Amino acid sequence: MERRDFLKQSSLASSLFFVPSFVKAFENVAIETLGFKKLVIIQLSGGNDGLNTIVPYTNDIYYKSRPSLALPKQTLLKVTDEIGFNSNMAPLKNLFDKGYLTIINNVGYPNPDRSHFRATDIWHTASDSNEYLSTGWLGRYIEKYGKMPYSGIELDDSLSLIMKGEFINGIATKNPSVLFRNIQTPYFEKVLHHQSDVHLSEHNLGYLYKTMVEAKSSAKYIYETTKTFQSTFDYPNNPFGKQLKTTAEFINSNLDTKVYYASMGGFDTHAVQENKQNKLLQTYSEAIAMFVQDLEKNNTFKDTLILTFSEFGRRVKENAAKGTDHGAANNVFIIGKNLKSPGFYNDAPNLTNLDSNGDIKYTIDFRTIYASILENWLNANHSTILNKSFDTLSFI
Amino acid sequence: MLMNKRNIQHLYLRGGFGINSNKLKELEDKATKDVVKELFDDSENYIPLKIDLSELRIMVIDDNKKNSEKTAKKEAKMRLQKLNRQKTKELNYAWIDRLKQPRSILKEKMTLFWANVFVCQDNNNIFHLQQYNNTLRKFALGNFKDFVKAIAKEPSMSKYLNNRQNVKESPNENFARELMELFTLGVGNYSERDIKAAARAFTGWSFKFNGDFYLRENKHDFGQKTFFGKTGNFDGEEIIDIILEQKQCARFICTKIYYYFVNPKPNEKHIEELANFFYEDYDIKKLMHYIFSSDWFYNDENIGVKIKSPIELLVGIQTIVPVEFQKKQQLYNLQKLMGQILLNPPNVAGWKGNKSWIDANTLMLRLKLSAILLNNAIIDIEEKGEFEDSFDDYYKIQKKQNNYIKTIVSWNVFESEYGILDLPELKEVLIVAEMDKDTNAFIENLKFSSNKDFCIQLMSIPEYQLC
Repeated sequence: MERRDFLKQSSLASSLFFVPSFVKAFENVAIETLGFKKLVIIQLSGGNDGLNTIVPYTNDIYYKSRPSLALPKQTLLKVTDEIGFNSNMAPLKNLFDKGYLTIINNVGYPNPDRSHFRATDIWHTASDSNEYLSTGWLGRYIEKYGKMPYSGIELDDSLSLIMKGEFINGIATKNPSVLFRNIQTPYFEKVLHHQSDVHLSEHNLGYLYKTMVEAKSSAKYIYETTKTFQSTFDYPNNPFGKQLKTTAEFINSNLDTKVYYASMGGFDTHAVQENKQNKLLQTYSEAIAMFVQDLEKNNTFKDTLILTFSEFGRRVKENAAKGTDHGAANNVFIIGKNLKSPGFYNDAPNLTNLDSNGDIKYTIDFRTIYASILENWLNANHSTILNKSFDTLSFI
Repeated sequence: MLMNKRNIQHLYLRGGFGINSNKLKELEDKATKDVVKELFDDSENYIPLKIDLSELRIMVIDDNKKNSEKTAKKEAKMRLQKLNRQKTKELNYAWIDRLKQPRSILKEKMTLFWANVFVCQDNNNIFHLQQYNNTLRKFALGNFKDFVKAIAKEPSMSKYLNNRQNVKESPNENFARELMELFTLGVGNYSERDIKAAARAFTGWSFKFNGDFYLRENKHDFGQKTFFGKTGNFDGEEIIDIILEQKQCARFICTKIYYYFVNPKPNEKHIEELANFFYEDYDIKKLMHYIFSSDWFYNDENIGVKIKSPIELLVGIQTIVPVEFQKKQQLYNLQKLMGQILLNPPNVAGWKGNKSWIDANTLMLRLKLSAILLNNAIIDIEEKGEFEDSFDDYYKIQKKQNNYIKTIVSWNVFESEYGILDLPELKEVLIVAEMDKDTNAFIENLKFSSNKDFCIQLMSIPEYQLC
């Protein structure tokens, strides 16, 4: 059906059609509210070494496999008789002690891929390892439940696969005023200013106009809602701290965004790992702890769930360059206020039963975590978003 | 039938990256068959794309010499990897440069198309990668059967889909599966048994250091296989023969061709017509000739309805106004921000194309691209770091990036060709999509300053995103 014919026939259209400036009207339409629950996803990009993050300090195989990298027992922040946190993660251990952290061990999927790109795609799209999807799981969620780009925000300048839907995508920004400025360019602004028509997405041209309208209204909405809100907390002065600070400002200014995604780089530690990883873990924990504090102060922590993952873990055995190579299953952190099972959700990795590459085998499919979050946190039907049905876990 | 301007533009946008004004005038009112013939005649010759690799040749030899010392060898290997990555970028720039030349444009467009069918990546050996790219070019308008066989023997493909690890004792099915799923038949048109049989037939397929194919006989399974109901001691080539006997193979390829060259919205009747024609001898040139000579190719519903890929957009602008990047890395970054880096596909399924190029962020950039390239507009968008980067480097990429893309714009070339056109003529040359009525009114009422400005304005409206 032609776009204009459709308009004429549609009863909805008749009322909209005579609105002088469609764009204006569109912006004023109350957007379906999705409830207060927010999800923040953080990717430790490059593949974090989970074994030197959450350390099994009574395990001989750990010490034998890593003569130069294994962390000495006495340096660790012990939380059980067998497990200690890397000493650079005191702020995260503090969250653990408060019951705000659930650690899920051995998370992965069958036939793990060890390429950063492919493994990231798999985590972003929630696909099988031999399946190629062109939409991300958050993108599909936005498409089904959000309907506007600002329903999902990536703290960056370009959008990752995780936020891409079929016809609706999230939006990327780490600075709303820059985003707002980008739609203020003369042609963008003027072309839209002259639009009087409803654009439906059947045709490519209609789709382009529709995306422009949405980009503009999303950028404007994000900018105007958040511009007066400034976090008073003293975040660590680094780019990751900045990403989380901006996220807190978004959440605390009551922006109607459901899902956030930020990636923190630097975890691909093939050589001289120890100092590099220690610094990264410190940066991560300090920023996260400040983020939680900020949300608590603003009474939004109870409605925010933070999931931290890495595209893969690293090999159990260290390499010749005092680093570690790409591995398989890894731990995942869930941070929130009212967790059902704070602490360790399941057993530490079994280092006596590794796969043929010498990597940790998965016991929990990452998609069961997604399914649980969709069902029990976002109140969404997981099988329509993940294209399949998975068991749910009971951590929230 | 005589061709009008719009039909010629359509032909050149789909069979190339657009057409400049002089050429358009020259071809106007010529017979379709003559215009189409000229497009094919221009692509008659095969001109391989080659960059200077002498530096690497010396290093490869050096590396072999230093076998004795372990650390030196490791260092040499790292240098080699770095140089390979750098040369891959050079090949990327050389390829884009090639696309800007009007000669042989159909062959180049086909090469780009096939690179997204036989998707492959090779970051470790630029010799193999360059050879692979030229195999795509060589067969781009050739026979599809020869093409598939040549691809199956390419070192880059062999590495990318693990066919080198495919040996008699433990067959690796990766290549066999993607051959059928993504290259020839499409998912659901073969059985798991067929995959197992095909994998066995490709066991032992390998290559020499210089890139030549060879069969490791002791790794090859010479035994009997049953494939698509046929039984015999098939090898890989015979497997490909049997795959092409399936009508589905012609249908699958024609569906892709139709999506890319005619319309992202399928027309089953036309696709079936093409499949019947292609199935006769799998001659790609004949197929393309058939399409470009069909009346329905020039139907209104097929003109200006496809969303340009980032490469089509980048090259298309430069077809009208020649641009040189002073810092080639910025050309690379632009590809990355728009989501299409040549030689660097997202995965073996390739780029999905059409609407999937567009999100709020890419669209803002795309609409501003002509102003960025031609008018020193600021680009307020930073790229992401790489997986391998350290924390500092991961974010430094963003900081150090300059807000301007440094280009040398040959406005004199534009002026000599387009300076004499009046505004409706300029619009006609740049926009083929049917204009939105409000945008059209806006454009018509713009205060005119110069053809140069008007050109940038036209390239900044959504209609220019379509071809």
